[in-house]
Amino acid sequence: MSDNERSQTGEFSTFYLGGELFGIDILDIHEINKQFETTRIPDVPDEIEGILNLRGQIVTVFDLGKKLGLHDNKSEAKERRNIVVDSKGEYIGLIVDKMGDVISAERSRLEPVPANLGGIQGRFFHGILKTDNKLVGILNIDEILKEKE
Amino acid sequence: MNNSLNSKSNEKNIKDEPEQKVKVSLLESLMNLAGELVLCRNQLMQGISKTDMKSIESSGQRIDLITSELQDAIMKTRMDKLASIFDRFTENVDGVGRNIDFTVKGRDVELDKTVLEGIEEPLQNLLENCIEFGIEQAEERKNKGKSENGTIQIKAFQDAGQININFFHDGVDEKGKIVTKEIVSQIEEIGGVLETNSELKSAYEYQIKLPLTLAIIPSQITSVGDEQYAIPQANLSELIRIPANDVKKRIETVGDAEVVRLRGELLPILNLGAILGVEKSWLDESGNKHPERRVSISDRRSKKYTENGNVVSLKKPENDLKERKPEDRRKNSSKAINIAVVHAGNFKYGLVIDELYDSEEIVVKPLGRNLKKYKTFAGATIMGNGKVALILDILNIALNQNLATVEESNSIAKSIEEKNKTNSVKESLVLFKNLETEYFAAPFESVERIERIPADEIEVLSKRKVVQYRGGALPLFELSDTLNLSKLPEREQLEVIVFNVNNRQFGLMVTPPVDTIEVVVSVDDSTLKQSGVKGSMILNNHTTLLVDLAELSALFFKSYEVE
Repeated sequence: MSDNERSQTGEFSTFYLGGELFGIDILDIHEINKQFETTRIPDVPDEIEGILNLRGQIVTVFDLGKKLGLHDNKSEAKERRNIVVDSKGEYIGLIVDKMGDVISAERSRLEPVPANLGGIQGRFFHGILKTDNKLVGILNIDEILKEKE
Repeated sequence: MNNSLNSKSNEKNIKDEPEQKVKVSLLESLMNLAGELVLCRNQLMQGISKTDMKSIESSGQRIDLITSELQDAIMKTRMDKLASIFDRFTENVDGVGRNIDFTVKGRDVELDKTVLEGIEEPLQNLLENCIEFGIEQAEERKNKGKSENGTIQIKAFQDAGQININFFHDGVDEKGKIVTKEIVSQIEEIGGVLETNSELKSAYEYQIKLPLTLAIIPSQITSVGDEQYAIPQANLSELIRIPANDVKKRIETVGDAEVVRLRGELLPILNLGAILGVEKSWLDESGNKHPERRVSISDRRSKKYTENGNVVSLKKPENDLKERKPEDRRKNSSKAINIAVVHAGNFKYGLVIDELYDSEEIVVKPLGRNLKKYKTFAGATIMGNGKVALILDILNIALNQNLATVEESNSIAKSIEEKNKTNSVKESLVLFKNLETEYFAAPFESVERIERIPADEIEVLSKRKVVQYRGGALPLFELSDTLNLSKLPEREQLEVIVFNVNNRQFGLMVTPPVDTIEVVVSVDDSTLKQSGVKGSMILNNHTTLLVDLAELSALFFKSYEVE
């Protein structure tokens, strides 16, 4: 479903990375796992946690914090979760430090993002949501997972 | 959340999903098999709840059979006919409008979709190349005495679990213009091979053999460190195990690469653990894993060739502990080596792995788009215990490691052997010592025997030492008699090398060990030269004096006469 067809009101699943709050459109999320035993792949960059057997499918799992360039790994193992997203028809896992709430918001309220937000490239965001007293960076997963040509 | 997800996937179905035709009879087979599976499953569940082993075993067997049948039936639903590709080819050739008679046989042969998709491009390229570079123009053909129209024929048939596609033409074949390297690797990527039929004269046939399906392949499961890896059976030639004692014998070094001698061939070997950056491990008798600390495969000294093919050493003296690097020390010194001999494209090499497991049929799962660039792996599979095993891409591993092809390896081996034969003639030398640190060598061909003589058997006649030897008296000398060296210490047993030089026999008293070596003799005759010594060489890392036996024996016997 392209962005144009999504309804005006969106729901976003939020989570913490290095103490900051981020969100992903719930429509892009397939499932969220607590237990995940990944198989290491030798000789690949740190950001790739490994691959996972998801009921018969091989899913690549990334450490989202490392993928975004954040180095502050404050998470406790038992709070970490694997968010399995649907990116361009493929299931990919993203490990986050801790889950937050699901928030509802009008998509029109997403504010544009500067070229660099807290050390993360602006193009990785769809926009920023200001809710209550929190700032949530809504992530563009397809862009983050894009491979360099 | 559920509702929105469902509507999203439904929309996707309507727009994007391709459709396929399947025979009704095949669908009915599938229904029946599913039904049988359900019955069997019920039996199994009952057996489990009652812990009835017999019932569980018989259900298990039935399920094994049904699963295989299901696998076959489902595979069949994924099959498509070659007609789709062949018909397009026929159209193309007609469209080109040249002097070509083009026929296809086997339009009805069925292939798994994945293989079909993979073979289309290489076949098309082969056809185009043949039209452009293969079939000559009508005029040229007439001059050569050939028929005006060239013939191109593609024939497909199934044989022994493989799909054969034979490509035939009666044009010309300049090396590499029709069957390009690209075509060959495209075919190999889908697990196939291309062979040229060399039996034909002035006609050419390329035989392509393809697996029935890419989805499920037989493979050999191996492990390195904590993880399991699968080697496709199609790439596996054989498995070798080299016992610990044979390691230094069979593993040699050429330049800085390690090779193993396999029935006369030199096979380059790669250490899978090193390639993957994984620490190797080995299992002890009770099945516990320990990290492998050996750095190079042939830890202890084995035959070494320098780049220009000279042998440096054969054996190392055993009491040489101080030269071992810490990395070479291992917990368990008796360690056999497992090698999987693999081949892909023009490469053949050995892969050193930790442990070997069973041969298994595995379902090939592709790796995600972010992992496609790590060419070491061709995909992944899920093992019976739910764990993921990566499938090795044998061709890419060879390419990444800059491995020499089979041709190149063999020509290196040949040049080494020829070098050793022709311009540098190797000689056999006998090695011995005077005092503990004085190393000597002499031509082995002059050695008659090596004896150990009790000191009390030596007789002294007019200050000359002799010993009873084979019915006669053998004069005994030591190097200090004529050379500027220290006398040998008093011993109870004497090591004596019996030489025969210019038909005169004598015994040389030496300090053991007495050893032999085969080397290309290149003597430094400037330093350390004296009468009776030809010069010096470095052998086994020691400065060794090569004696001139003729001079030496002359000096020995002269000393007799003087006295």
